[in-house]
Amino acid sequence: MYEPKIIGFLCNWCSYRGADTAGMARLKYATNVKVVRVPCSGRISPELVLRTFREGADGVMVLGCHIGDCHYGTGNHRTAKRMPILKKLLEYNGIDPERLYINWVSAAEGEKFATVIDEFTDKIRAMTPFEEVMK
Amino acid sequence: MTDRLTELREEIYKILPEVDGVIALKKGPSAIVAPYLFVKEAADDLQKLAVWPKEPVPDTLKIIQRAHPEARLAIVVRGCEERGLVEMSKHSQVDLDKVTLIGLACTAEEADICRCTKPAPTHAKIVIGERVEGTVDRLTDDFTAKSLEEKLAFWKQEYSHCIKCYGCRNICPQCFCNVCTLEDEKWVETGRLPLPQPSMYHLIRSMHMTAKCVACRECEETCPAGIPLSIQFRLIARDVKQMYGYETGENLDQQPPQLLVLEEGEYERTGLPH
Repeated sequence: MYEPKIIGFLCNWCSYRGADTAGMARLKYATNVKVVRVPCSGRISPELVLRTFREGADGVMVLGCHIGDCHYGTGNHRTAKRMPILKKLLEYNGIDPERLYINWVSAAEGEKFATVIDEFTDKIRAMTPFEEVMK
Repeated sequence: MTDRLTELREEIYKILPEVDGVIALKKGPSAIVAPYLFVKEAADDLQKLAVWPKEPVPDTLKIIQRAHPEARLAIVVRGCEERGLVEMSKHSQVDLDKVTLIGLACTAEEADICRCTKPAPTHAKIVIGERVEGTVDRLTDDFTAKSLEEKLAFWKQEYSHCIKCYGCRNICPQCFCNVCTLEDEKWVETGRLPLPQPSMYHLIRSMHMTAKCVACRECEETCPAGIPLSIQFRLIARDVKQMYGYETGENLDQQPPQLLVLEEGEYERTGLPH
């Protein structure tokens, strides 16, 4: 069984705090996700996601505040507008759009964070490694 | 085709005294057709007026307006070029208030060549030539029927011809940023051919064409490798319409969706988790 490389972009105000909450509650979750803390999920440009794939990531997670809870007001609206298009683009280029995962995790949702990470890791683990697909 | 050309020439003769110049296509000395500014002082140039092949006139308008912001101009536009100007005006690239649009309807053959679904202008008050129905874009429709593996193989094959000449970006009337991401080594690596997959160059360009590409097909026309670049632009334009109700280049008052916050019911159509 191969261990997938997953990069998780977590927004500083909600999802990253959510990860802290999961840690404080001593919840166990897959260690495949390498976390990158960003000020806002709206900071994640399509270029960043594409380069992450280009560098060999098997999956990319973008987690942000729930719609309406953004620290900056409407930062995550940008995420919600941009990422579905990027997913479509990946699909049109023959890359499984499921490799890009978007969800909303608040600072209190430690359990949701652990579940989301586990589920996504399992899903990616069942896929062919990205580098092999691209060969 | 001759009829349309004569009709257009007469129309330009009529409008020429009222404006500073008319941008249209002209046959050059070696039969090359290029955008040209016709002025009343040299109205005889109109004998060399041309309508085909299609050349990117919106860019010419932008360049002239930059140098002469006060000039009152007229421009001969096809359906796609008009849509292009609408998008450019939303991004402050052209000032349509100072421009008279002379519409030019494409013939059925021309629409076929471009796989065009909307071959006639809608904003221009005058439209020369007979409006024809758009064709069905078979190439794009066939592409959607492919499986994920087939799509990947398709683009691997097509991109393997790409020499990264940046021609598609340079010709595109919608590509007007002063600082281009595609020239940034952070995102697009230089000096590697064939392009490593997934191709950062093409993916980033497609993403940047969201809600901007009006399917004029200039990129395909200019591509020395003949890559059917517009397939994914057109597919994304369909998605943008379906998700955000935004029709690229149609309505001057509709703002591009990326610049606005989510509206009622929009989130549900994006397919993101609740």
